[in-house]
Amino acid sequence: MRIAFLGLGIMGRPMALNLIKGGHAVTVWARRAESMAPLLNAGAIGAASPADAARGQELVISMVADAPDVAEVMRGVAAGAEPGLVAVDMSTIAPAAAKRIGEELAAAGVDFLDAPVSGGEVGAIAGTLSIMAGGSEAAFARARPAFECMGKNVVHVGASGAGQVTKAANQIVTGMGVLAVAEAYAFAAKNGVDCGKVREALLGGFAYSKILENHGQRMLDRNFKPGFKSWMHEKDLNIVMQTAHELGLCLPGSAATAQMFNAMVGSGLGEEDSIAVLKLLEKLSGQA
Amino acid sequence: MKVGFIGLGVMGRPMALHLQRAGHALFVWARRPETSEGLPATVCATPAELGRACEVVFTVITGSADVESVALGPAGLIEGMAPGSVLIDCSTIAPDSARRIAARLGENGVAMLDAPVSGGAQGAIDATLAIMAGGDVAVLERVRPLLECLGKRIVHVGPNGAGQVAKACNQMIMVAAIQAAAEAMRLAAAAGVDCGKVKAALAGGSAASKVLDVMGERMVQRDFTAGIEARLHHKDYGIVLEAARRSGVPMPLTAAVGQQLNALMAQGWGRDDTASLLRVLEVQ
Repeated sequence: MRIAFLGLGIMGRPMALNLIKGGHAVTVWARRAESMAPLLNAGAIGAASPADAARGQELVISMVADAPDVAEVMRGVAAGAEPGLVAVDMSTIAPAAAKRIGEELAAAGVDFLDAPVSGGEVGAIAGTLSIMAGGSEAAFARARPAFECMGKNVVHVGASGAGQVTKAANQIVTGMGVLAVAEAYAFAAKNGVDCGKVREALLGGFAYSKILENHGQRMLDRNFKPGFKSWMHEKDLNIVMQTAHELGLCLPGSAATAQMFNAMVGSGLGEEDSIAVLKLLEKLSGQA
Repeated sequence: MKVGFIGLGVMGRPMALHLQRAGHALFVWARRPETSEGLPATVCATPAELGRACEVVFTVITGSADVESVALGPAGLIEGMAPGSVLIDCSTIAPDSARRIAARLGENGVAMLDAPVSGGAQGAIDATLAIMAGGDVAVLERVRPLLECLGKRIVHVGPNGAGQVAKACNQMIMVAAIQAAAEAMRLAAAAGVDCGKVKAALAGGSAASKVLDVMGERMVQRDFTAGIEARLHHKDYGIVLEAARRSGVPMPLTAAVGQQLNALMAQGWGRDDTASLLRVLEVQ
């Protein structure tokens, strides 16, 4: 398939590489031209702008930072698109913003999917991302071969915006999950109990989770290298809280968690992995 | 002085009348013309026309976007206000938004004060509002006689935006206090104790507050008609939590109270008084 990939950051670069490996003809564009070099070396064609990249493609994929970036890039795509193009945004943005962008693209004759991912840089490199898509059945069918090069668990969740709703739900669970494990460790440590032993014991029971297993191990190793940067998790939880505010939705746990991530960003932990919330807890309880 | 007034709701209308009674020539513009009926004022066709006619313009409207559109939008104040004139925005909006409007007007030589108020509809009627002003102190001194028609306590907090920051702090403390009063009333009722008696007992001690006095009484009487509509506090909490986020400052209590306000909105009580936080606690 002829695919354009826009945005070649930590996530976008390995995702685009996996499309090339999957045998697709990939055109790339990135704001900073030097980000394109590794893709060009792997056989991709470089484009001068999103509009230029979109010309003559069957599928366009964007992976950028935030809603205004997606809107801007997709405006370019709309300008360069030919009839029948499917555009997919895999960034994490607010569901309402995704719907709006979908409507704008529809007016330009482009079918849009919001298809954010979970699994981090590791999942992007291994091609094992979870992909949660919202949009039309037809657009999903078109994009599926590309999704299967990048991810393992590919789900068409529902109509436009449903993918972002799912991603927000994912960030609620992972945000509170990381905080829950960190609080359990702080609790154990303050009581003089070995956190590693606690983790081992809990892994066999109902407190088992992937987060306890993976993030829990990294907390024990005190390995705070990202993974998933806490400022990005804060950004995602802000999407959750904004949406809850607009809808009149009571989310007390998410609200408390969002404030912890807010404090992490404010106290200079934003570039560390979200498990650094453990450090913040330790500071608050005088354990640091 | 020729004074313009935009936003003739429960707060704006009595404020505009105080200015008129003090001898100022009143000019008004209203999105819904019927709200200006019966006012001793010249009705203008657009904010620009009002801006052209006035030396000082007051705005008391709901959201950041509304103020920006009235001030800077098509046929907005900016198209009419002359250099040297002053916009006094008494709305509660985001500090960033206030700074943006001030900067844009400043390019045309028009001064702006963000001057949000506290004291509610009763304070507006009694002209006892607390006014927290951000902007140039010399501009504030020039318009102080006008503000003195509206309120007793006028404090210059700092540069543009500082008034809105102070107002955000005011809303955080006030709504958290309403939530605290609601929880106390809920606990008393659940324990089979008379809420009115508890409130009376507390009034003399360290827990005494204006909120317990006013909102607490509404809770005791179970009179939830607004005072201040809860949806406005809900809107303000959006501003406060966004400001917290921008500053990287944790606000665990504010965040928790914000969720109770979300629940209040979901129950359909946005047009009732914020004392309805008590009813949120009663949802089973």
